[in-house]
Amino acid sequence: MITQILNGLVYGGLLYILSVGLVLIFGLRRVVNFAHGSLFMIGAYIGYSVTARAGFLPGLVSAVVVMAAFGVLLDVGVFRPLQRHDPLLTVLVTFGILMVLEDVARSVWGKDYITVAVPAGLDGNASLFGVAFPIYRLMVIALSLLTVSVLAIWLKRSAIGLYVRASSADPLVTAMQGVNTDRVSAMVVAIGAGLAGMSGVIAAPLMALSPSMGSYILVDCFIVVVVGGLGSFVGAFVAAMFIGQIHNFGIVYLPWAASSIPFVIMIAVLIWRPTGLSGKAAT
Amino acid sequence: MTTTRLRGPHAGPWGPIPAAAFLALLSGLVGIGLPFVITAPTAMTLMTQGTINAILATSVGYLIRQSGFVSFGQASFFGLGAYVTALLIKSAALPFAVAVLLGVLLPTLFGFLISLVIVRVSGVAFSMLTLAVAQVFYEIVVKWRDLAGGDDGLSVTLPATFIGIPSSVFQTPTTMFAICWITLTLILFLMYCLSRSRFGMLCSAIRDNEERARFIGYGTLLPRAVIFAISSASGAIGGVLFCLYNGFVSPDILHWTMSGAALVMAIVGGAEFVVGPALGALVYLGVKDALGNITEHWQAIVGIALIIVTVGWPTGIAGLFNTLWKRVRAARPA
Repeated sequence: MITQILNGLVYGGLLYILSVGLVLIFGLRRVVNFAHGSLFMIGAYIGYSVTARAGFLPGLVSAVVVMAAFGVLLDVGVFRPLQRHDPLLTVLVTFGILMVLEDVARSVWGKDYITVAVPAGLDGNASLFGVAFPIYRLMVIALSLLTVSVLAIWLKRSAIGLYVRASSADPLVTAMQGVNTDRVSAMVVAIGAGLAGMSGVIAAPLMALSPSMGSYILVDCFIVVVVGGLGSFVGAFVAAMFIGQIHNFGIVYLPWAASSIPFVIMIAVLIWRPTGLSGKAAT
Repeated sequence: MTTTRLRGPHAGPWGPIPAAAFLALLSGLVGIGLPFVITAPTAMTLMTQGTINAILATSVGYLIRQSGFVSFGQASFFGLGAYVTALLIKSAALPFAVAVLLGVLLPTLFGFLISLVIVRVSGVAFSMLTLAVAQVFYEIVVKWRDLAGGDDGLSVTLPATFIGIPSSVFQTPTTMFAICWITLTLILFLMYCLSRSRFGMLCSAIRDNEERARFIGYGTLLPRAVIFAISSASGAIGGVLFCLYNGFVSPDILHWTMSGAALVMAIVGGAEFVVGPALGALVYLGVKDALGNITEHWQAIVGIALIIVTVGWPTGIAGLFNTLWKRVRAARPA
């Protein structure tokens, strides 16, 4: 039972780190980024390649840096020029990016599944509440809590955090106040993409690498973002943890329905409150 | 095709219908004639699949054009149509023709019923709802091995005859192409007529400003539900034809990447125009196949092309033709 809850926290934590990037990007650019899962996937592969040569930490850092740089390109090259057009066009472009990135992964790393070992030093078990639980998974939980805290403090306390929140609420008025919203959003997309890369590296030892891994987890992220309320950071955290628990308990107790339950919850929430649980005005 | 011409400024609400009917008849004749001209079976196979995809893309485009709703889950109706038909044929409890009919009717009814709830939600939330509904079906089909065969899919052997016609017509590329093409033409023609009718005008009004339409005194829920149901029906027809042609259904046709591809075809073709999505589907599949023969990196090239076309020409292929046509007309002395 405790193991189930902990495993739920692990998956929830991963989903949070990945989804919060989507939330950030949606908040500023009003864009549903279909390429987000691919950033996760490419991050995982980069982490895998660098880890094999230089170790886990350099792998993690390089994946974050490369994906963050890609995020800046994404914002400057795609989101910014298209912001005055129908948001649907941007969705389509991100769909195109998804296709390209999957093909890149297939060409560089092959289409077979790759399993990744837990990094050395983190491969033992720890005893927690009387059950043995892998240290690596505990680290994932810790890392997600760290991400939540750092993001929360950054958004609430720093000047840039204020600009980010303001731009999410109303980009136009924020720009009129003299905030360079383009620069803010480039930074935010970079952070979102970097977090996607980070979650990819962290997730690699927990799931097998494949070019399509991004497409699978992306849908779970959509559930988190929508259930939590589009553009809400707190909502995303609650929803991620909730979906994480549902996911794991479902697999154990209702295996035949496990993968449908999150969607049913998503449908119910959207019909009940179209703006998600946090109820922030969106769409 | 030349929808552009039919949308001329002097056209009354019923004026262009005879012209559209003429074009539809012409298109039907092309559908029957083309298999005699193109004899390569691979080309016919590709064109048949392209036409079936065109029906799916048309259903996505129609929803966007008439109601402004963007569905991320159109594969659900396509897949449902295919699976209902496949399962009914397999169970052999009902006549073949009834199975085909139900393959269209059940998803349509389902679409109508869910739309009564989901069209109340707009924007991104609507897209996400349709995505979720489609994924639920995907998961059910994958998990329920006894009923739907899970990941392996279902293969179906068609009964010998369909109301007296030998079933082989459905699985021979040349005849099936004609059937699919004529079906597509009929769907496009009916959609065009409907968009020109009073009902179509009302739907456009609701799309542009739902609140105002309601204020004038129109009920806005039912028209939107009907549009959604028509779109579902078109998707389901595509699915039924897919099932009949391939004799095989698999969960891939329910996955969200299928819905995404249909949306891509619709927008690349130009969702503002009746024939745009169908055009997009044919071009998409043609390009995909041509590239697939040359390189295994077709996916990256299609992706790059998608980005360039979307950024460079947001109104799609049909929009491009429309602009060119207007220029030609402007250059011509009146």
